[in-house]
Amino acid sequence: MNRSFIPALLSVMATTSCYALALQLHRKWRAFPPIVGACIPIMAALWLLRVPYAEYNRGGTLLTWWLGPATVALAVPMYRNGLALRGMLPRLSLVVLAGSITGMVSAGVTAWLLHAPLPVIMSTVPKSVTTPIAIEVSRQLRGIPQITIAMVILTGVLGATCGTYFLKLARIRNDRAIGAAIGTSSHGIGTASLIRQSELRAAVSSWAMAAAGVFTSILGASLSFLLR
Amino acid sequence: MKTSLDFALGVGIIVVIFLLGDFLHRIGVPVPGGVLGLLLFYAALQLRIIRLEWVDRAAGFLLRHMVLLFIPLTVGLMDMGGVLSRQFGAICLSLVVSFVAVLLVTGLLGQRLLGPPEDAPGAEGQL
Repeated sequence: MNRSFIPALLSVMATTSCYALALQLHRKWRAFPPIVGACIPIMAALWLLRVPYAEYNRGGTLLTWWLGPATVALAVPMYRNGLALRGMLPRLSLVVLAGSITGMVSAGVTAWLLHAPLPVIMSTVPKSVTTPIAIEVSRQLRGIPQITIAMVILTGVLGATCGTYFLKLARIRNDRAIGAAIGTSSHGIGTASLIRQSELRAAVSSWAMAAAGVFTSILGASLSFLLR
Repeated sequence: MKTSLDFALGVGIIVVIFLLGDFLHRIGVPVPGGVLGLLLFYAALQLRIIRLEWVDRAAGFLLRHMVLLFIPLTVGLMDMGGVLSRQFGAICLSLVVSFVAVLLVTGLLGQRLLGPPEDAPGAEGQL
């Protein structure tokens, strides 16, 4: 057996165990998001044992790779709810387009007002969409992909932890509006948090997330063309 | 035994579609492989090339545990402290402002265009 295979397997097993544990905690205290519960013990263990992240991530990429197939699998709730959603798809696309433009402009303008350097401003622009799309748009705009990755994940965690509460505060109660808002603002991490709440929310959110990804990659490509 | 075979078949179908999407991306389509795969998979389900019952359980499993797949990337935040701390204020504020703006614009516009609140009377059948 290959020697590098064992630590990779170990980090997959450790990650999966922490995830299982975080799910148990989440079952007891609903407000406790699994993503936070799973990451804290792993970060603590890596820090205490002085294991570099790159070492852990050799196994980690085995899990990260499955984000591709999982994105593809989103077609199933989209299809299953397709009949219910069919009549609203043009309106939903309009809502998502408005949200995507708002996200790109507000992120960039806020960073610009705070005198951030241009590459940092560009890194903030694609932060609302799923990681692979965001990285590409960031590269096209000559941003710093690492900053974009960090922002994408933090936005997703923010959406998964406080998105629903925040929408409740703003008196947004419609399941379709909630799905659209979470999918557009916090991509896969937000959508994943809705799957356990309601199938309709998750389906609309999957639609919104996919549409936001497509819109943002097109808008990003056009913007980079204009800036050339 | 039969159900685990079904499950493996479903996962296999999804992985093949993802690889197809990824291939299309590599040869020049500017949309990422996962999103292309999603569109292809949706079209295949819609056209009944792939039946829902072949992939239902596998897709459900992948989606229920999607959070697990985000863990390694999220743990990677611990290595980004340096990059983040240099522009900490700008990055955090832009993140929060933009998050709230998107949530409000999409949610309020969605509430307007996508139907009445679920708890309002007569909300049924108004998709």
